[in-house]
Amino acid sequence: MARYVVRRVVLLVAVLFAVTFLGFSAMNLLGDPLVNVVGVLAELDCEGIEAGLVEDTTVDAASRDCDTVAAARDQYHLDQPVPVRYVLWVGDLITGDFGTSFQNDQPVSQVIREKLPETLILLTMAQIVSLGVAIPWGVIAAYRANRAFDRGSTVASFGLLSVPNFALGVVLLYLLALRWQVFPSAYESDNLGALVFSMVLPAVTLGLPLAASYQRLLRTDLITTLQEDFVHMARAKGLPPLRIMFRHALRPSMFSVVTVFGVSTGALIGGSLVVEQIFGIPGIGREIVTAVVRDDFPVVLAIVMLVACTFVVLNFLVDLLYSWLDPRVRAR
Amino acid sequence: MADQAPSAPLLSVRDLHVKFPTERGTVNAVNGVSFDLYEGKTLAIVGESGSGKSVTAKTLMNLLPRTARVSGEVTYDGRDVRALAAEKVKHFFGVQMTMVFQDPMTSLNPVKKVGEQIAETLRYHLGRSRSEALEEAVELLDVVGMPEPARRVTQYPHELSGGLRQRVVIAMALACQPRLLIADEPTTAVDVTVQKHLLDLLDELRRDRGMSMILITHDLGVAHGRADDVAVMYAGRVVETADARTLFFDMRHPYTEALLRSIPRIDDPVHHRLDPIPGRPPELIDPPDECAFAPRCIYAQSDCLGGVPELSGLVGLHRFACLHPTGTERGMAAMSSNRAAGVTAAGLPVTGSGGGSG
Repeated sequence: MARYVVRRVVLLVAVLFAVTFLGFSAMNLLGDPLVNVVGVLAELDCEGIEAGLVEDTTVDAASRDCDTVAAARDQYHLDQPVPVRYVLWVGDLITGDFGTSFQNDQPVSQVIREKLPETLILLTMAQIVSLGVAIPWGVIAAYRANRAFDRGSTVASFGLLSVPNFALGVVLLYLLALRWQVFPSAYESDNLGALVFSMVLPAVTLGLPLAASYQRLLRTDLITTLQEDFVHMARAKGLPPLRIMFRHALRPSMFSVVTVFGVSTGALIGGSLVVEQIFGIPGIGREIVTAVVRDDFPVVLAIVMLVACTFVVLNFLVDLLYSWLDPRVRAR
Repeated sequence: MADQAPSAPLLSVRDLHVKFPTERGTVNAVNGVSFDLYEGKTLAIVGESGSGKSVTAKTLMNLLPRTARVSGEVTYDGRDVRALAAEKVKHFFGVQMTMVFQDPMTSLNPVKKVGEQIAETLRYHLGRSRSEALEEAVELLDVVGMPEPARRVTQYPHELSGGLRQRVVIAMALACQPRLLIADEPTTAVDVTVQKHLLDLLDELRRDRGMSMILITHDLGVAHGRADDVAVMYAGRVVETADARTLFFDMRHPYTEALLRSIPRIDDPVHHRLDPIPGRPPELIDPPDECAFAPRCIYAQSDCLGGVPELSGLVGLHRFACLHPTGTERGMAAMSSNRAAGVTAAGLPVTGSGGGSG
């Protein structure tokens, strides 16, 4: 077990390096970061002004501007080549300094601290919705395999899988928030209850398509498990069908769902970009959209790294879940 | 079987038919099986794979897939078992009758501790608390001869050997003191050395607890000495049934005879050649209207091909479905005419040495 954890941690570090290095390089290739920090001032020919080669009408102002540019260069180590900047950035990161946002000079750590809880609540709720829908749905579909309910749910799940997030979100918003006014149409943060309640629709928007794919996987695995001898044995023991489903068949049939659960988190974060926009949730998803548009790369990098971390850690938890699901995994 | 049982049979099966519709046609897995089982007795159902013996057992336990078409009567202690199953009556299966399966490697849930799997039955049917049920599980494991039962209850099936797992399965089946135990090839999947232990254990438990047992096996040797009555099945039909003694020593059906000849005996001389049964079991889809065993039978005459022979006699007596039974004059005549012709009416070559003389 200890060896396993160590291997995982090494993997996590490797993934983080790869992700941040690629992200860092990409952001630098996309444009001169100096432009993003100081705007048009980046075009000032400060060296020329200093050497008196370039005429400038307002020398004072120009030299002040040049000071700003120099300060920015210094702050973001822009006079260094990209690999060096990367190493410096990592060094800061290790000491807990995520850098500052180009947009408003806010520390990135503060940005994340403000936006992350919203997104975490959204993603958690989305997974709860998807599992909460998929498990009973898959169980009933498998129990009545190839009957009317199962056939209907095949159609329904393919439908859900092929509807894009924004379309589903808009439809839900229109029906449940505007027409019937069951749920609020936008983000509320007065208290935790209101917050969670206002997140129901976004969570359903994210969770339903996922529920459809979980349901397909669970149904297939359950149908296989239901043909196992131990299920016959449970029936011969006289246990009622529902109990057999939930106590005997469900757990050994959860492997595909759990695997996809780990992988789908990436897709969920992608989906949250759109859903946070539609429902006006000030979360990480919206933040990263703004940051990318503005080439605010300290923020982009921090979020990318966060996502990568979540991904690796979640998949580590999924591995632990396997061994809970099947004691035979523990033996290995 | 012939002795006068004073009470009504515990289990009574009449004219049981099981059909499976498939894409290739309807499989007639069980074709009119009838038998009685009395309290405290063991009935062995013997046959090759595909003879319908396991399907019969599964029908009794209501374990067939939904597509199966079942007709006939199954009565347990005066109650119609199929009606009980349809009404989803609680505390019948598992309490009154239960089953032990062939493969202990697959008949235990791999993700639950064996103790829980035994305790679960006790909790559901008898309303025991968790701790009571676990204590009883330890006792049950002790009864079935499990070493260190207190430790075993906390183990998972994969931590046990095949023989130990089958003991767990047996303990599980016995938990609610069933009156009828159906054992479907209970020792086929375990080592030969373990087989005898398990069979003796089952027999001992049956006697101690006054259970009735249906022992399903492809091995007549397993039935010998453990069964009160034996029913031999072939192609979904009972072809011969009698009390064990009669069946082993005064059989009438050529298939029973052939089965007995095909198993090794400890008192056979070394290098004694076994007589395998020629050919294969018949297809169960659209079977021809003839004795199903005729193509493999050295006694076969033209009348064997003219229709399926009926079981003779009444339920409970020595019954056999053969027009030229072995050990009778008709049988002797059939055999010698086939020998003379060198071939049976169904086209099976008969030589002087092979086959076996009646």
